[in-house]
Amino acid sequence: MESGELHHKRPRQQQHHGSARPKPGPHDAARDAELLASNNPFMPMFLRFRGELDEHHDRRERVIKASRDITALSKKMIFSLQRARKIGAPLPQQLLKEVTSRHAEINRQLSGIAPDLHELNAHRYQRNISGGLQELMEALAFQHYILTGTLLSYTGAQKLIPDGIELTVSDYILGIFDFVGEAMRFGITLIALNGAGGDGGGGDAGKILLDLRRLREEFEALDTTAGAGVLGKEVEKKMTVMKQCVEKVENAVYGVIVRGSEKPKGWVPDLDSQPLQMHSEDD
Amino acid sequence: MADSTTPYTAIDHDIFATVQEQIERDAQVKEEIRDNLKSLDKQSKQINSMLSRVHSVPPSEVPHLVAKTKPYFENARKELHGLIETVKAYPYYKYNGLWSRDLQNLTFLVLLETWLERMYTTDTPQPGNALLTIEEVGERFEVPVNLQTEDKFHITIEEYLHAVISLVEELSRLMTNAVTQRDFKRPQLISTFVKDIHSSFQVLNLKNDSLRRRSDGLKYNVKKVEDIYYDLVVRNLIASEAPTEEHVGIKKEEDVENKMDKD
Repeated sequence: MESGELHHKRPRQQQHHGSARPKPGPHDAARDAELLASNNPFMPMFLRFRGELDEHHDRRERVIKASRDITALSKKMIFSLQRARKIGAPLPQQLLKEVTSRHAEINRQLSGIAPDLHELNAHRYQRNISGGLQELMEALAFQHYILTGTLLSYTGAQKLIPDGIELTVSDYILGIFDFVGEAMRFGITLIALNGAGGDGGGGDAGKILLDLRRLREEFEALDTTAGAGVLGKEVEKKMTVMKQCVEKVENAVYGVIVRGSEKPKGWVPDLDSQPLQMHSEDD
Repeated sequence: MADSTTPYTAIDHDIFATVQEQIERDAQVKEEIRDNLKSLDKQSKQINSMLSRVHSVPPSEVPHLVAKTKPYFENARKELHGLIETVKAYPYYKYNGLWSRDLQNLTFLVLLETWLERMYTTDTPQPGNALLTIEEVGERFEVPVNLQTEDKFHITIEEYLHAVISLVEELSRLMTNAVTQRDFKRPQLISTFVKDIHSSFQVLNLKNDSLRRRSDGLKYNVKKVEDIYYDLVVRNLIASEAPTEEHVGIKKEEDVENKMDKD
């Protein structure tokens, strides 16, 4: 949305007032002197505003660009992390290298715009950086989960981003919502490769199932409508997707229990589950 | 993070408790701000309705009208400081969106009031004096303006510029109604004012936001004001001070613009 705003419509306006409206960029000193010399009494004030508004737009564009880059890098982090195969274990060397270098680049980007987001401007560009931070939260929560098997906390997340960048609770929690989707994908992959851990849900896939159900319960208990802010609306949208994700894992685990893995490795029919298996094939 | 001292630590409930707490604290602040704004808005509405009478009263009564709004402006100033008290503990831009429109409106009212005061009371009004600067608006309400680094309450350039556009819109309406009152002096002042503001806005590099959209609309106000001015000159209701040629020239430019808009 923001990106469209930046370039849209400009040429048309310049056609209209070709002589009166200076082109953006370095201002023509001679032209300014001419404007000041005109008997328009308000011109000096507006020329002063022009410089300040230009600075504001420059800051905003830098933040928007960083946000976009951070979103792309976070997605790449997530792709790499999806190739991990175990929860609660260190990442394989190659994955670790990829993930670490991307995270470093994200932090470099964030530190780069920190001067645009401090003092008076601390919250000014919040909307512009929000998208990048949410995607980053998703990546960091996913990484944290794979490494430790636990959910990344708000305070934990704050420690993972550079000083001078404020993380709002909204961006954190919306990132966690999206993390559910990644955990789902991770779980389904594990199930496709290994079955549900061979013991009816006790392995990593089983853990993911339990954790996602618990997450769903917590999300459902959360009241985000207070204050009638944007968060409530965003959460409403993400809630549906989150529930679908949890159900997908539930169905996948069910499928494995009932039918066995799609790619059985030395799979032996379990006599106990045979009636169920037949039932499911009737569908 | 990964301690296993408690049976189920993977999804720590405290994480969500913290989030919930923050959301509620935030909601509470917003509630307080909205209460402040309700009181401020009440005063603004009063002032707005009083100043609106300028469209229907004879010019001689306008100074009286303006004088009557003074106590309400004083009330508004107090309410504004009530708001500042509520929000001073938080970063300025965190909640700015909640009151920005109300502040624009109040700024517009003080700009209108001053315009009326300065353009109606004296026999020889100074057009250069017609617009309160952003600094003067700040002085009226005892509020800082256009801060660059310090993180505290102030009136921003954008809010001020929105108010200036509202003033132009209001004066365009007054252009018609002044003529109806057989007042031919104000239309000349309005005409000069609206054209000066319009060309001042031309020097700003506005991005495609609400300010940009509204400032694009200024040309229609210029056109309206030009048309009325033209009617008055043609009928010899006012002496044309500026050479007629220049005037016609501007009209042509406007027509070209309108054609381009339709394309």
